[in-house]
Amino acid sequence: MQFEMKNVEKFYQMSEENKVYGAKDINLSIHEGDFMALVGPSGSGKTTVLNLIAGLILPSGGKLFHAKGEITSFSLEERTQHRLEYMGFIFQDYQLLPVLTVHENIEFPLQLKNFPKKEIHERVEWALAQVGLAGYGKRFPKQLSGGQQQRVSIARAIAGKPQLILADEPTANLDTKTAQEIIELFKKLNQDFKLTFVFSTHDQRLIDQVQTVLYIKDGQIVKTEKH
Amino acid sequence: MRSFLFLLKFSYRNLWRAPKRTMIMVLSLSLAAGFIIWDLNFANSGSKEVMKEFLSQYAGRYQLTHPDYYEVANSKLFDNYKVMTDEQVTDKSLFATSTRRVTAPVFLSGEKKTLGVLMTGIEVDSELRLARLKDTVTKGEFLSPAGNKEIILGKRLAERLDVKIGGEVAVIGQALDGSVANDLYQVRGFLDFGGGDLEDTLAFTQITSARELLVMGPGQYHQLVQFDMSHETLPKIEGLRAWSWKELIPEISVSIGFVDNFTWIVSVIIVLVISLGLANTLIITFFEREKEFDALNVLGAKASWVAWSLLLEVTMLGIVSMILGCLVGHAATTFCSYYPVNLELFTNGKAIIMGGMTIKPLVKFYPVAQYYWQVPLMMFFFLALSMIYPLIRVMKRRKNAV
Repeated sequence: MQFEMKNVEKFYQMSEENKVYGAKDINLSIHEGDFMALVGPSGSGKTTVLNLIAGLILPSGGKLFHAKGEITSFSLEERTQHRLEYMGFIFQDYQLLPVLTVHENIEFPLQLKNFPKKEIHERVEWALAQVGLAGYGKRFPKQLSGGQQQRVSIARAIAGKPQLILADEPTANLDTKTAQEIIELFKKLNQDFKLTFVFSTHDQRLIDQVQTVLYIKDGQIVKTEKH
Repeated sequence: MRSFLFLLKFSYRNLWRAPKRTMIMVLSLSLAAGFIIWDLNFANSGSKEVMKEFLSQYAGRYQLTHPDYYEVANSKLFDNYKVMTDEQVTDKSLFATSTRRVTAPVFLSGEKKTLGVLMTGIEVDSELRLARLKDTVTKGEFLSPAGNKEIILGKRLAERLDVKIGGEVAVIGQALDGSVANDLYQVRGFLDFGGGDLEDTLAFTQITSARELLVMGPGQYHQLVQFDMSHETLPKIEGLRAWSWKELIPEISVSIGFVDNFTWIVSVIIVLVISLGLANTLIITFFEREKEFDALNVLGAKASWVAWSLLLEVTMLGIVSMILGCLVGHAATTFCSYYPVNLELFTNGKAIIMGGMTIKPLVKFYPVAQYYWQVPLMMFFFLALSMIYPLIRVMKRRKNAV
C-alpha cells in the first residue's frame, strides 16, 4: 500500500450552519500498479479527492498516510517536497511551461530533485520514447498539437518514476482519436512499468479501461467497481 | 549550481515571453537612468562651471590671510590691522597662481555725495593674468599696471556719487597707524556686475596706492587670493589661515548645494514614479501567470523557488536596463562635453546673477564616475521595493489545487 485515506472529509463552512462537503468519509487505499478512476458528475468532489491525495489541500477531518508518514501532519513546504518526490501530475489543460522546450519541461521536476545531469538526460529521453515523442525535445509547447502536449505532460509525470500519478480529466481537452491514443498510452505505462494511476474523469472510454472505478456523489464514494 | 542555471534560464525566458512589454519596461528604466545620469552630470558640471565663472571674476578659490583677519562666525567682518607678508607663505609655488590684495573700508566722496565702500588694492598685473575682473569694466578702462591712485568703481556707485570717467573722487579712511587717511583718486572705469549689489559697494585701485593710503609697509597685504580652481584642498601654513570660498561666501555655497540636492530629489521622484508604473506592470504580469505558479507548485516547486525566479527576472530586467541607461546617460553626457550647454537657454537669454555678479557660463559636462553606480543602485532599490507586493502575493499564495 502506497497511500491511504482514512475517514477523510473536506468541507467548506459557508455559514454557521451551512457546510458544503467536497469530500466526505473517504476511505481509500492505493497500491502499487493500481489503475483507478474517480468518476462522477461535475461538482461531485472527484477533483477535491485528487487534491487531498496530493496534499494540495488539507482535510477538515480524517488522515492521509504514506509510507513516509502522515501527510496531513506535514507543513506546506513538506507537502510540496513530498509531492515532488513521490507523485506525478497530468493536467486537463497540460500546464506545460511555454518558455521551456519539451525536453526542459520534462526535465523541470528532475531539476527540482537535483538529479545528476546524465540521469536527467536519460530519464527525459526514456520518457519521450515512452510517449512516442522521441526527437521532439527541442520544440516548444506551442509548436505541438493538443495531443502531443498531453503526451509531454505524461512524459513529465513519468520521468521521475513516481509512486503515484494523479491525472485530472486527462482526456477532456482531446479529440476522440487522440483521447483513445492517450488512454492506450496510460494502459501501456501501467502494464509495462507498474506505474500507479489515479484519474479523475467522466470519459467512459477511460472508465472502461481502468481496474477500479470509484463513483463519487456529493463528496462520498457511493460505489466501487472492479474490472 | 546546475539547478541555479536552470532557474536562470527559466527566468530569462520568462522575462522575454512578452517582448514588447519587456522592451517598454527596459526602455522606461534605461531612459530614466540615462536621463538621471545626464541630469546629475549637468547639475554637477553646471555647478562647477558656474563656480569657476563666479570665482574667477573676483572671489578666487580660497584666500590666505592672517588667522584673525576674518571673524570665524562672519567673514563679512574683518580686522584691517591683521596683515601678512610673503615671508609667511612657506609654499612659494602658490604665488604663481595667486594675487595679493589690500582691503580697506573707506568713504568715497564725489561732488555731491559721500558713500561708504569697500576699496580693494589689487596687483593689476596678476589680476589681469589670473582673474576676470577686467571683463566687468564696461565703461572706461581697467587700472593700468604702472599707474598710481587710479580707481575703478561700481557703475551704480558712480551714478550715486555723480562722478565721470577722468573725474576725481576723494577717499577718506583710517590708516593702520591710526591717522586719518585721505587722498584724491582719478576715476578710470566703471564696473558692471549686471546690476548686482556689488555695483554699489566695490571700488578697486592699485595695491601700491592702497598701501600708501593705509600707511602699510611695502610688503604687507591682507589677502593672498588663489585663482587655480584645481586646488581641491586648502593649504596648511603656520601663522596663516586659508579660507575656502564656501566660508567667505556661504550663501553661494548653499545655493549650489541646494541645486545639487534638488537634482537628487527630482531624480528620486522620477525613479519613484517609474517604479510605481513598473510595479503595476509587474503585478499585472504576475497575476496573469498565477495559474502557472500554481502548476509549478503542484509539480513540486516551492513558493521560494517561484519567488526566486521572479526576483531573478526583475534583477535581469534591472541589469539590462541599467547597462543601457548608463550607456545612454554617458553618451548624452559625452555629447554635452563636446557641445556645451549655454545656461542662458534656461533664462530666455537673460543674464544670470550670482552673489552680485553676472555670469555667462557654457556648461561643459564632465562625467562623474560615482553617478554610474549610485543611479543604478538607487533604481535597484526602488525596483526591489516595487517587487515586495507581488512577491508577498506569490509567497502567501495557498490556492494551489489542480
